Amino acid sequence: MGRTYHIIKYLCLLVWTAFVVFPFLWALSTSFKDANAVTSGARYLPWVEFEPSVQGWTSLFASGSQGINIVTPFLNSASVTLLASIVSLGLGTLAAYGLSRYSYKVGFVKNSDITFFFISQRIMPPIVLAIPFFLMLKEIQALDTIFGLVIVYVALLLPIAVWVMTDFFASIPKELDEMAMIDGCTPIGAFFRVVLPNSTAGLVVAGMFCLIFGWNDFFFAFILTFTETQLLPVAIVSLNSSVTPWWSLSAFALISVTPLALIAIVVERFMSRGSLAGAFR
Amino acid sequence: MLSLKNISTTHRKRPLCNLSAELESGKIYTILGRTGAGKTELLRIVMGLDDIADGHLELDGQNLADRPVRLRQMSMVYQQFINYPHLTVVQNVAFPLRRQGFSRADAHDRAMAALALVGLAGFEHRMPPELSGGQQQRVAIARAIVKKARILLMDEPLANLDYKLREKLREEFPRLLAENADGIILYSTTEPAEAMQLGHEMIVMHEGCILAMGAPADIFENPATVEVAKLVSDPPVSICHGEIANGQLMLAGTALPEGAGLVLKGDGPIQVGIRPDALSIGGDMPAKVVLAEFSGSDTIVHLSLEFGAAVMLLEGIHEFKTDQSIQVSLDTSTLLLFSAEGKNITERRSNG
Amino acid sequence: MAEITLRNLGHSYLPGPKSEDDYALKPVDLVWEDGKTYALLGPSGCGKTTMLNIISGLLHPSDGQLLFDGQDVTHKGTSERNIAQVFQFPVIYTTKSVRRNLAFPLECRKWDPKKIAARVAEVSEMLDLDDILDMPARQLSADQKQLISLGRGLVRDDVSAVLLDEPLTVIDPQMKFALRRKLRQINRHTGTTMILVTHDQSEAMSFADEVVVMKDGRVQQSGRPEQLFERPENTFVGYFIGSPPINLFDVDVQHDNLHCPALALTGLRRGSFEEGALKIGVRPEHIRVTEPKGTGATAMVEACENLGIEQILSLRAANGELFKVKSRLRQKIAVGRPLAVSVAEKDVLVFQDGKLV
Repeated sequence: MGRTYHIIKYLCLLVWTAFVVFPFLWALSTSFKDANAVTSGARYLPWVEFEPSVQGWTSLFASGSQGINIVTPFLNSASVTLLASIVSLGLGTLAAYGLSRYSYKVGFVKNSDITFFFISQRIMPPIVLAIPFFLMLKEIQALDTIFGLVIVYVALLLPIAVWVMTDFFASIPKELDEMAMIDGCTPIGAFFRVVLPNSTAGLVVAGMFCLIFGWNDFFFAFILTFTETQLLPVAIVSLNSSVTPWWSLSAFALISVTPLALIAIVVERFMSRGSLAGAFR
Repeated sequence: MLSLKNISTTHRKRPLCNLSAELESGKIYTILGRTGAGKTELLRIVMGLDDIADGHLELDGQNLADRPVRLRQMSMVYQQFINYPHLTVVQNVAFPLRRQGFSRADAHDRAMAALALVGLAGFEHRMPPELSGGQQQRVAIARAIVKKARILLMDEPLANLDYKLREKLREEFPRLLAENADGIILYSTTEPAEAMQLGHEMIVMHEGCILAMGAPADIFENPATVEVAKLVSDPPVSICHGEIANGQLMLAGTALPEGAGLVLKGDGPIQVGIRPDALSIGGDMPAKVVLAEFSGSDTIVHLSLEFGAAVMLLEGIHEFKTDQSIQVSLDTSTLLLFSAEGKNITERRSNG
Repeated sequence: MAEITLRNLGHSYLPGPKSEDDYALKPVDLVWEDGKTYALLGPSGCGKTTMLNIISGLLHPSDGQLLFDGQDVTHKGTSERNIAQVFQFPVIYTTKSVRRNLAFPLECRKWDPKKIAARVAEVSEMLDLDDILDMPARQLSADQKQLISLGRGLVRDDVSAVLLDEPLTVIDPQMKFALRRKLRQINRHTGTTMILVTHDQSEAMSFADEVVVMKDGRVQQSGRPEQLFERPENTFVGYFIGSPPINLFDVDVQHDNLHCPALALTGLRRGSFEEGALKIGVRPEHIRVTEPKGTGATAMVEACENLGIEQILSLRAANGELFKVKSRLRQKIAVGRPLAVSVAEKDVLVFQDGKLV
């Protein structure tokens, strides 16, 4: 039974891998095609089915009118995502710690209601939030600015951070913080000296989520920015003019995926080294 | 001196009712009770981790209620092995000292000495999760005693350990706890033998109340109520229903022989506590063996007697068949008499 | 119901084990008779859980065979073995009533509802669960939950064995006593083979007809509780069985005889001892203490612990050796005074290189 089972298992995995990797391969091959190769049906093998060209890649870094500016959107995206993630993670971790360790009661509102309040931000369809956001940012003249986007992204990412971290803190026995207080720490000291150093795994997971959601958001970046502060997803889509330069677009998309892929690889290494293996069972 | 004055709590799981006790420095107090008796709850209010609804908690005459946990000069060993997973063993033990303001070098030296004491010399640079359960608990104990706290609390510290590790650590406790000899030590457990063995004084708790407090041997010999008698003995005291009639103790209609040295006053129904070692083989009392268990050097025989079920503890190895009929005798000198409500009414004639 | 045979059964978690050290369970031959109670006893990491998992079918052994009633089940799955298992923590469906909990395994097997009702009634009577049958399972105490876990296993009528994996750990001492008794009665009543895994020697001794003592993946000794107590085959069994553990004393050889200075014992026949470290072992229960009489060995009382019915004395012999005595003397024994100690020769065990001679 063992042998056939293994063969079937690997066959299934192979199919799945192809399924997952195919879009990337497709984008990669497209980025080396020219207009002719793109429009004349499906072609897969370079040098055999089409003559590769680096035009898609060079156009991204070329200066002048025919060049596409990718550096500015890239930096914009990076700063908005990083700032929003850091703020969300910081606030979210503190909020989650409070929710996991203390019982709050304001009228009929209890801990579970507060947690729900945070998460409810993600229940509504984005379009419902877009209009209020637009009006609010307009009011404080933060439309089309990095600052404005950071505020909106914090509102979007905070629920994720709170959710992940509340769950994580629940897995750390509360006796650990009590022990720290018995040993002479203030409640805040217990959090920073004992709980936080043991929360790396949770912080990494929550951080990953924030980065992914922030980096990939198109909808709010599209609605709340115009020309000044263009983010990567919007910049990519705006390439889509009357004649779409598929080669540049593919190269652009691949570049925009790279940072997340790099982070994923680093985290994966980190995890397999056991650094994130739970200290608590 | 730690004083508990009429302390009550409204904790959802196990409210405590009207606890009063005076605990002196330099003594080990064992708290004996079943799971859910309120032992942990009592330790937590002393520690300041849970609030008191009513009553006073004083240390050396000073009210403790408003003092934050970190300023209570206490240390604690939990049932779960609680150590700081991100610190090495020696950093764990030095942690409370550093918070108390000892220099890094001083704290390190003291921590190393404490580790040597608990038998973990050579493990100082390991991380707690790499250690076995017994070793992890030793780290926790080292961290608790290194502080030389005014009050040392231990909440069933052996409950999660293997039998033989438990036996070994229990044996070491008197030596380890001597490190904290000036403090008040509160030690909770569900095992009667452990409470008897370690405690200078024993506090028996049941359903959130203190039922008895005093020297372990006294409580064992003269339990205040039926409940206390059941809690402090393992194997348990068998409780049967009897009656005092005309100055005689009747069990299932048969009068027990005089000369037990018991003062029998007032007629009426009573409860009789029979210690497991009060029954022995041979005699004129018919009994049926329900089950015989061999426990180490002793044989525990579950009997069905005319007046109810009882447990007999025999020294050595004895073979019985299930449902075998045997004759037993009852040593009436160690009988315990309780009123129908469960209060101890045993009175022994002097020189009886 | 079944007789369980372990034929040269061993397990290594490593592929291609080379030396004995690679085995988590060293190959062993054992036969467990139908209808008896057994205990696997040892410290954590001794291989007892590995053995239990092999029997329940969660683990397939790397070596040897496992037979149920002579049939090879070594590579069969758990469901084909008809094993009932009770774990350390009660596994019950908290949303269901006790009755539904008990009926569940039969419902899964598509039994006729009438037959299910009858069978549940039978099991609940046996376990004394009649009063709580319609209570939601989440309201029960830990020991009741553990009984339900057991009942769910027993309710099937084709159970070959009940495996109990430290089921009493979470139970209070007083309740433990009652539950252990219940388990024994069920065994008598149904004649189902029961196998208990535990680290608690007193639990193993009082529960099992036969106890298998394990350490480092090796079966140290298998036998009736009284055999393990009276004739431990090595010093580990002597240490692990009994509380306090067996006392070990130094001996010297004098004219083909053994002499134990601590207990002033002489004339123990030397027999055919080879060269090797000799020790004698005496159970704390077997040493008698009396008032000093002038002759014989005496020892100083260093500590006296009152456990209620028993007292444990720590004594220091004249030659400095420390040993323990368990005594039922009711009067208080003063620390710091000498007592006479004596031992019957039949209670003296001689160990050579840690093995019983």
